[in-house]
Amino acid sequence: MGQREQATDGEVVGAVLAGDVEQYAVLVHRYRDRYARFAARMLGSLDAAEDAVQDAFVRAFDQLAQCREPAKFAGWLFLILRNRCFAEQRRRTREGRPLEVMDEAIAGPDRPDGNVEQMEQAHALERALVGLTPEQREVFVLKHVEGLAYEEIAGMTGATVASLKMRMHRAYDRLRELLKEHS
Amino acid sequence: MTETFHSLVKRLLDGELSLSDLPPELRGEGAEALRLLGAVDRAPVALSAEFETRVMAEVRRRARSPIRRVWRGLVEPRDIELRLRVRPWVVWGAALAAAAAVALLLTRPPQASEGARPMRVAAGDSVYVRFVLYAPTARRVAVAGTFNQWDQTASPLARVGAGGVWAITLALPQGHHQYAFVVDGAQWVPDPAAPGVDDGFGRRNSMVAVTARGARIL
Repeated sequence: MGQREQATDGEVVGAVLAGDVEQYAVLVHRYRDRYARFAARMLGSLDAAEDAVQDAFVRAFDQLAQCREPAKFAGWLFLILRNRCFAEQRRRTREGRPLEVMDEAIAGPDRPDGNVEQMEQAHALERALVGLTPEQREVFVLKHVEGLAYEEIAGMTGATVASLKMRMHRAYDRLRELLKEHS
Repeated sequence: MTETFHSLVKRLLDGELSLSDLPPELRGEGAEALRLLGAVDRAPVALSAEFETRVMAEVRRRARSPIRRVWRGLVEPRDIELRLRVRPWVVWGAALAAAAAVALLLTRPPQASEGARPMRVAAGDSVYVRFVLYAPTARRVAVAGTFNQWDQTASPLARVGAGGVWAITLALPQGHHQYAFVVDGAQWVPDPAAPGVDDGFGRRNSMVAVTARGARIL
């Protein structure tokens, strides 16, 4: 699989569109973990994240011919996953069961260098994150979990840097409020 | 009452300032804010070992589907160019028809079947798309979609006259955009004038394709 893994996204997309469906596994392997953490933090559940990432890959395959810039497959896949996460949030809101409890699997995993207080703070923050709006949570996750700059987030989402900052600053205040409520 | 972070502390959280940049009276608040970020869990998330197997099984199943090629042929966007040979009687006929349509619009209330349809108004890097919904009993209507991060408050429609028609014109970047109307902040309504696309949960969104040549619903 060595040569296949060295192929660029554009080359792999071209091969899949030409009928070599098995090449799609290269893209799945390449991007599954990159987006798993984003989905997990957005949806608050490892199970929901896995479903969302799987669904995003399948949708991307279905719509691969519409990927206008195959070299930017990763960004295109991210938009599909992001829409899937927002749709999940809307579905839960409609059904009257908004995001609530984080899975233990992703809420502050055991860290060898961590102490009890740090673990509790991590759990409290994860619980507070699901109290943000999806848009606030997205910008928080992309900046502070994924470590992206505002300019990079703007490039991925299409929002302006100014609107992202406004969203983030509201998120800071809301997190402070939620953390005080939980404590 | 909500206690908000000072704007300088928010810039500290954004990484634009350091704690020592803050005035002394804000350093306590700054330290509290940094503790918040210190609790962020950046640990990798591991999907199950069978993940790739499951995805590829589904991909192979879809690739084998006999209707896949037909379906792709139907849904993939294609540019269609119409070449019309205009004759003088056609011009006069169109002018008369337009005059009649304007007269009807001025004298008849809009019908529910008109629904909503985006249409091109101008072209540029972005294309103006007009969203229209007939909702006579609504108190407020908004359009939410991928172009505004599904924000229900970002793009409210305005009433057009007293006939129950709501409209808004937005400049959308080129590409495909999913959207739905939000009536009274709670009811998500796909565009009645557009075939829907599955949002993955058994509900329908509408989709508009914006190109340099204009916009069309899919």
